[in-house]
Amino acid sequence: MLDIQNLSKTYGRYTALRDVSLTAGEGEVFGLLGPNGAGKTTLLRILATLLQPTAGRASVAGHDVGREPEAVRRAIGVVNGGMGLPARLTGREVLRSFAGFYGMTRAQADTRVAELDAALELGRTLDTRAGEYSTGMKQKVVIARAVIHDPQVLILDEAASGLDIFARRTLLDFVAAARRPGRLTLYSTHVMSEAEEVCDRVAILHQGELVTVGAIPEILTRTGERTLERAFFALVRGMDGEATRAS
Amino acid sequence: MRPDQIWRVASRDLLSTLRDRRTLTSTILIPLLLIPLFTLGLPLLLGNFIGGQAQERQKVGVVGTLPAPLRTALTRDETAPGGSVIRAGVELVPVEDPRAAVQSGEVDAALRAPAPLPTRAGDGAGELEVYAKLGNLRAQTGAFAKVQATVEAYNRDLAVQRLGGLGLGPQTLTPVTLSPIDASPEQERRSGQLAFLIPLLMLNFILSGAMATALDATAGEKERGTLESLLVSPVRRSEVVAGKLLATTITALTTALFSVAGFLLTGVLSRTLLAGNGANAELTQAFGGQLTLTLGGGLALLGTVVSAALLISAILIALSIYARSYKEAQTYVTPLSLAIVFPAVLLQFSDFLTLGDGIYAIPLFGSMVAILDVVRGNLTAGHALSAIGANLLGALLLGLLALRSFHREEVIFRN
Repeated sequence: MLDIQNLSKTYGRYTALRDVSLTAGEGEVFGLLGPNGAGKTTLLRILATLLQPTAGRASVAGHDVGREPEAVRRAIGVVNGGMGLPARLTGREVLRSFAGFYGMTRAQADTRVAELDAALELGRTLDTRAGEYSTGMKQKVVIARAVIHDPQVLILDEAASGLDIFARRTLLDFVAAARRPGRLTLYSTHVMSEAEEVCDRVAILHQGELVTVGAIPEILTRTGERTLERAFFALVRGMDGEATRAS
Repeated sequence: MRPDQIWRVASRDLLSTLRDRRTLTSTILIPLLLIPLFTLGLPLLLGNFIGGQAQERQKVGVVGTLPAPLRTALTRDETAPGGSVIRAGVELVPVEDPRAAVQSGEVDAALRAPAPLPTRAGDGAGELEVYAKLGNLRAQTGAFAKVQATVEAYNRDLAVQRLGGLGLGPQTLTPVTLSPIDASPEQERRSGQLAFLIPLLMLNFILSGAMATALDATAGEKERGTLESLLVSPVRRSEVVAGKLLATTITALTTALFSVAGFLLTGVLSRTLLAGNGANAELTQAFGGQLTLTLGGGLALLGTVVSAALLISAILIALSIYARSYKEAQTYVTPLSLAIVFPAVLLQFSDFLTLGDGIYAIPLFGSMVAILDVVRGNLTAGHALSAIGANLLGALLLGLLALRSFHREEVIFRN
C-alpha cells in the first residue's frame, strides 16, 4: 500500500529528508513520529503529491507519486493541523463540493455525508457556516472532507494539534475505527502517547533521517524502555551520540 | 481540462464571494450609486450652479462714475415674453478700493475707469478695469461674464449708432459672419464628457469586482489553509487556475453589468430630471453627455469588456498567489488601480494625440481607447479586434504564469 525507497528532499543546502525507505501495508495504522522539524510533514507532502522529492521514489496504493499524481490523489485523503475551511460555506456545502471533485453524484454525496455525520457526530455543524466553528468542529469537518471518498490511504499530519479533549477523543476513535482491510492510515504526531494508542507500527524520524521502524512492542523491547516516549529519547540520544563521535 | 471540475472550483469561489456583504456592496451597490452620481449628479449640480448665476443678482463695485447708458445696461434685467427673468442685471455699489472690495467678498467684481469713458464711438478709446477673482468659477461665470457681455453689447450699440449717422447699417461691423457647424457624428456630439468617464468607471469597477474574488480565492485560501486541501484532491492544477479565473471573471463582469445598469439608470433619471429644465439642461448635457449604442457598438463593447475582465482577473490571480495573506495580496494589487486611472485620465487629451493603430494592441489601454471610440460611435472592427485580441493574449500569458506558480512549491507553501 505504501512503498518508499531512498527518498530525499533538500531545500537549497538544507536537507529536510535524507534517504528514507519504509513500507506499510493495508489494514494498519502506521505512525510517523518525531519532533517538529523531523521531516514528517515533508514526507507526507511528498506522498500527497504536493512536493517533488529530490531523490528516490514513493508509491501510494500502487501509484507512483511522481508519475501518477492524479491517481495518487484519488486514492488518498489528507488532514493536517493547519488545514482550514472556507468561512462562508457550511460543512455540508464543503463536503458536497469535494464529493463532486471525486466524481460522486449528489445522491452518493448525501449518503456519504449522512454516514460521516453518524461517525463523527457532526450534527448541526453540517449546516452552520465554517466561520462560526470551534477548533474541534472545524477539525471534524476537515476529517470528513478528507474521507468523503473513502480513500485507500488516509494521511493525518498532526491532526490532533490544538484540539480539546473531546475532539481529540473523537479523532482517535475515528482513526482506530479506520483500521480495516484494504485501507492504510498514516498518522503523524509528535505526541508519543497518541501513537501508542492508535498505531500498529511506527517510524521514528529525527532531523530528516529515519531512526527506526517497527511495531511498538518490538521497539520497546529493543530499547528496553517502558514507553514509546522514553524509547524515542533513547534512540535519538544514540543517534546524536554516533553523530558526535563521527564528527 | 475537464469543464465540470473547472465549474466546481469556480462555483465554490463564487458562493463564497456571494456571501460576503462587502463584496456585494462593491459589486452591485457602488456602481449603481456612483455612476449616476458621477455622470448625472455632478453635471446636474454644476449645471444648476452655473445656470443659477444668470438669475442671481451679483454685486459689482464701482469706483467713480460710469456713463449712464452703461450703468443702465449693467443693471437691466433680461426678461422672457412671459415676464420671467432670464438674466438678472447686477447691483452697482460704490467702493473705494476695488481690489480690497473683491478680496473681502464685499462685491463679486469691481469696475474702475482710470479716465472718463467715451459715450460716442470715434471719440477716443477708454479703458475699464474689471477686478474679479478670475480663477474662481463662480466669479468667472457670474459677475465677470455679465460685465464682459454688457460692455461688448455697449460697444456694439455705440458703433451701430455712429454708423447709423453715416447712413450705414449694423451689418457693416460684420461683413463676414462665422457659422460654426459641428461636423462630428451625432453619437460623438451627444456623448460629451461621458465618453471619458465610461472607460475609467467601467475598468475600475471590473477591477474592484475582480479583486474581492481573486484575492480570496488565492492568498485568502493560502491563509485559511484551504488551498492545500484543494490541491490534494483529484482536480488538476490547470483546472484550479481555470476555475479561479472563471469565478473572478464572472464577479468582474457582474460588476461591469451593474455599472451598465448604473448608466441606464442615469439615462432614465436624466430624462426625468432635465425635462423642461431649459438652459440648465443644456449646461448639464454639456458637462455630462448621453450614451447611444448601435448593435455593432454594443457587441464591440461587450467583447472589449469581457476580454478586459479576463485580463484583469488573470493579473490579479497571477499576482496574489504569491502573497502569504489577503492583506499582503492587497498591497500587491493596489497599484493596479493607478495603472487604470492614469491612462484613463490621459484619454481626456486623446484629441491632441495622433493615435496609431498600434495603440489598440496595448492590453487594457487599447480597451480604454476602444470603449471611448464605442461611446463616440467611431470604433472600427479592426481596432475592436486588436483590443480584444491583445487582452486575450495577455490573459493567456498571465494564466500560464499563474499555472506555473500553482506548480511551484515555494509559492504554494510561501505562508
